[in-house]
Amino acid sequence: MIKEMAKDVANVKERCQEAYQKAVVLQEKLNDAITLVDPSEQLESLPEGGLFHGVPIALKDNVSTKGILTTAGSRILSNYVPVFDAEVVTKLKKEGAVIIAKASMDELAMGGTNLTCYTGPSLNPWDTKRMTGGSSGGSAALVASGVVPMAIGSDTGDSIRKPASFCGIVGVKPTYGRISRYGIIPYASSLDHVGFFTRSIEDACISLQALAGRDDRDMTSSYREVPDYLSLLDSDLTDKKIAIFGNVQDALTNETTKDLFTNLMKQLEKKGAKVDVFHFSEDLMKAMLPTYYLIANCEATSNHSNLDGIRFGVHEKGDSMEEIMTNSRTKGFGLLIRKRFVIGSYGLFEENQEKLFKKAQKVRRLIVDELNECLKEYDCLIAPASNDIAPLLNDTSRDELSDGYLIVENHMVIGNFSGYPSMTVPMGMMDGCPIGVNLTCRAFDEVTMFGIGKAIEDITGYKDLTAEVK
Amino acid sequence: MSEEMNKEYFKKLAKQLMFELSDEESEDIVKEFETLNKQLALLEKVNTDGVEPMVYPFEDETTFLREDEVTHVISQEDALANVKDKIEGHFILPKVVK
Repeated sequence: MIKEMAKDVANVKERCQEAYQKAVVLQEKLNDAITLVDPSEQLESLPEGGLFHGVPIALKDNVSTKGILTTAGSRILSNYVPVFDAEVVTKLKKEGAVIIAKASMDELAMGGTNLTCYTGPSLNPWDTKRMTGGSSGGSAALVASGVVPMAIGSDTGDSIRKPASFCGIVGVKPTYGRISRYGIIPYASSLDHVGFFTRSIEDACISLQALAGRDDRDMTSSYREVPDYLSLLDSDLTDKKIAIFGNVQDALTNETTKDLFTNLMKQLEKKGAKVDVFHFSEDLMKAMLPTYYLIANCEATSNHSNLDGIRFGVHEKGDSMEEIMTNSRTKGFGLLIRKRFVIGSYGLFEENQEKLFKKAQKVRRLIVDELNECLKEYDCLIAPASNDIAPLLNDTSRDELSDGYLIVENHMVIGNFSGYPSMTVPMGMMDGCPIGVNLTCRAFDEVTMFGIGKAIEDITGYKDLTAEVK
Repeated sequence: MSEEMNKEYFKKLAKQLMFELSDEESEDIVKEFETLNKQLALLEKVNTDGVEPMVYPFEDETTFLREDEVTHVISQEDALANVKDKIEGHFILPKVVK
């Protein structure tokens, strides 16, 4: 779709204005954007050509945009207007992309529901009584509802891949270092990735092509060459070895999800892949969520100490500098954020660092070591992205100590621990709502990931799946 | 942690982080820590003897010493564009010495 749009030069203005108008209309129903951006000015100065020439796109609101409000979904940044563009914005603009929306997100990207944005929850385009998932929920919904063919998200735990599952689209978290994070408001630096949503694998290839590459302003960005993902796209599964994530499969309780997944695996075998089951040590799997929780919150507490209401952001009055900071942070952060900072700070206490934070970093290594064992033999690790379709907005039924929660709902953090490329692709529908399958491949092997993703897309026929918002 | 993890404990901790917690919010965190501590016990069960902490996904060198050239400069006006109270290129804050 992106390729065809970029070629259709004659309809650029009409297309971008239509996308903008659609976003305006859907905003009433879905609340998926924080800021809608009238494209008129950008359309006056579009560069010639480019992979995204005249293609309307959306950005998660933690992506810095020069002169455009960038809130990261938090009240404390609800007046913040960056004076520079994030590297991904610079790259997309060079390729001719047109920004029409800054998308809703969980506050500071912490959360998996998109219920915690200071502008209210974003709603799922398939069923507005349901969540989009988070934290990149607004971006996912804008792609799923057909407003834009691509939206930028960020993924620290599964913040692209879970909403992609709940919204029935492709959600890509590439290898750590593949896309520059310069200008992205951070969450947890050792786990944060920039990625994106599309409605097809081909569009995912074009998007990564445009976004990947070394950036000296992000010291973690990679020097590796960027392959031509689209021309290398090959869905032939002959000799491909696929490992089913056994611990996840064992803990599934939804029969329809089990059936959809089992059938998909049979289809992959029919296409020539060798499919086996791989089990990780159960103790490590149960420790995945606390490992993530500690590392993410400890890093976040430290990263967000600069949000003080003095140099930028919402400024509350006070008689001293300390009082200004305390008042600004108390009123600026939602409860969930303050809770997470408390947990992070607790993990960083001198007496807890060895027992908690460093322990989590050691367990992270053990989990990644087992993933390496798996990927030594297999090209890909695969599992349903969730047990179920998107939860209802008022659903609080989860049991945070069950295998279902600890393993099935949180297994995708393995892609953040390792930094390996990981992607969700639509797998099937249940009660009119989609559910996705997740695949994780070797470091910098996005070519294989897209190839297997394309084979899945061919099997399911879910290419350009679009929700009709009622 | 010798101190009891009660409401007062978390309020004190929040103060160190430069924000306040209401009674109700603090009570909420006390309850959340009950679940968190059970989850942390799952972490503790894993034997990590002799394992090095994993700080970043890759240990490849991606940093370098750049040439001493001025690049990506923003003006003073831009640097202070988001400051609420400013005068002649400075932030305005309440007096520190009173």
